[in-house]
Amino acid sequence: MFKRNYRQDNGVAYLLLAPIVILLTIFVVIPFIYSLKVSFYNWSFYQPSVFVGFDNFKFVLEDDLFMNALWVGIKFTLMVVPASLVVSFLFANIIKGMRSKGASFVKTSIYIPTIISGIVASIIFVFIYDYMGGLANYVLGWFGSEPRAWLADVKTALPSIALPAIWLGFGLTTLIMLAGLHDIPESYYEAADLEGAGPWQKMWFITVPLMKNIILYLTVTGFTASISQYELSLVMTGGGPLDTTTTPNLYILNHFRNDVMVGNSIAASLLLFVVLGGISAIIFKVLNSEKAIDG
Amino acid sequence: MQAKLTFQKTVLTAIAGFFTLLALFPLAWVIIAGFKEKTEVLATPFRFFPKQWLITNYIDILKDTMFQKAMLTTFGGAVVFAVLSLLVNSIAAYVFARLEFRFKTLLWLYVILTMFIPGMAILLTSFIVVNKLGMLDTFAVLVLPGVASAGGMFFIRQFYLNIPLALEEAALIDGAGKIRIFSSVFLPMSFPVFVIVGIGSYLGYWNSFVWPTMTITNPNLYQIMQYLASFRSERTSEMGMLMAGSALSALPTILLFLIFQKYIISGIKISGLK
Repeated sequence: MFKRNYRQDNGVAYLLLAPIVILLTIFVVIPFIYSLKVSFYNWSFYQPSVFVGFDNFKFVLEDDLFMNALWVGIKFTLMVVPASLVVSFLFANIIKGMRSKGASFVKTSIYIPTIISGIVASIIFVFIYDYMGGLANYVLGWFGSEPRAWLADVKTALPSIALPAIWLGFGLTTLIMLAGLHDIPESYYEAADLEGAGPWQKMWFITVPLMKNIILYLTVTGFTASISQYELSLVMTGGGPLDTTTTPNLYILNHFRNDVMVGNSIAASLLLFVVLGGISAIIFKVLNSEKAIDG
Repeated sequence: MQAKLTFQKTVLTAIAGFFTLLALFPLAWVIIAGFKEKTEVLATPFRFFPKQWLITNYIDILKDTMFQKAMLTTFGGAVVFAVLSLLVNSIAAYVFARLEFRFKTLLWLYVILTMFIPGMAILLTSFIVVNKLGMLDTFAVLVLPGVASAGGMFFIRQFYLNIPLALEEAALIDGAGKIRIFSSVFLPMSFPVFVIVGIGSYLGYWNSFVWPTMTITNPNLYQIMQYLASFRSERTSEMGMLMAGSALSALPTILLFLIFQKYIISGIKISGLK
């Protein structure tokens, strides 16, 4: 209705959109098309490339190391995402019950880890896990435990990297949860009080169902973020011991750095792209729809 | 009943306090470890506080010219990056929010679809592109590739869509052009959304590690995370300095966050969920 009588502004619009379109074309679209092309070639810096069809994809799917990396990524996600969700849900509930002064102090404090870089977090946690002088073994020593080589042991390396990942993301997750909690009308709880509902019943029958969308959102974004994590393992363990901390992106990065033939790793990254890009498209769809949040 | 409630409150506040301490602890530890003597950082048995508080590590790292350069160039780069990206993305956001033009849907799709291309899928080919453009080892390679961001643009557009048309009407009647309307009506109102998107870009630049490592070999252009990572692998005997440097590297970010925290925390409410 409005659009029809509206004068079109083709010239101005194109002029103003030129910067974003040109920059995205040079630095995102062209590299992406180039990636698509390279994934079908036996490509290297030093030799003429040969068309190999789907061989690169086949190679990656049959590569035990890639499958192992995927599995590592999934295990890592299963350690990070549920733990952060549960802890931040409970913690957000606690903050909601606090007086505003205390609450704003807590909110500010827990957000600080979120702005710390993965590199600094890695450096801090490498020291915490140090065999001789580290904090982790010192605390365990109180309980009479023997010191452990946290990052060098096949059993503990991945959980040891999951902990800083949780630390880095905890603040943001909690604050998003908190924002969701504040949107639930107080009257629902008052009604439940009249019915004689206890705190757990209120949480289970009111809070959780009304937070469904936010929990879903955080699960999906948490999944994509943690399955693409590589900085922590890159700095803390380099992917070892025995590839137990080689996440998919680290696998790809290691291939970029070590192989002369890069078609394989580009194929691997495109395979991941299909999965992760699909997931982000779904998130976007949900967020962009009017019914993102019911209630 | 009242006593029970007070008791509950106390317990919950105590839990909150404990978690807050836990969140801050690693950072506090790295700051404190910076005050230790070289050999004491990883001393056995473990000690939390230094035997003697020494400021030498902080002075030494501040005197390290490489550290100075890395901090300054990263800070400068991050500020330029954030400003440029706000400019490019907010203009595009305004156009998509308010103007009508041919191929609008097509251009919108073109821009938005780039959001779903993960960095890792184009990492190597981006390197090849910037190499062909002769941008390796320049300031431009650090700043330009990430400036245009469909995500940032989308976020700002959501904000612009909520600005009432009535606010533009006076300017429209006066015959102001589109560019004028953007600069005199939209820009001044953009502060809250600019804080959120700007700090996001700043952080992304400040914390980036892999891209600078791939594209920068000239030590004069080392970025701070790149510097810290190479410090960790090359100067293993100076752990106190590394601790001090890591603590200092987080400082500008934390200060920025504390200054703007009100906007950032309320921004989380609108960050795509609403």
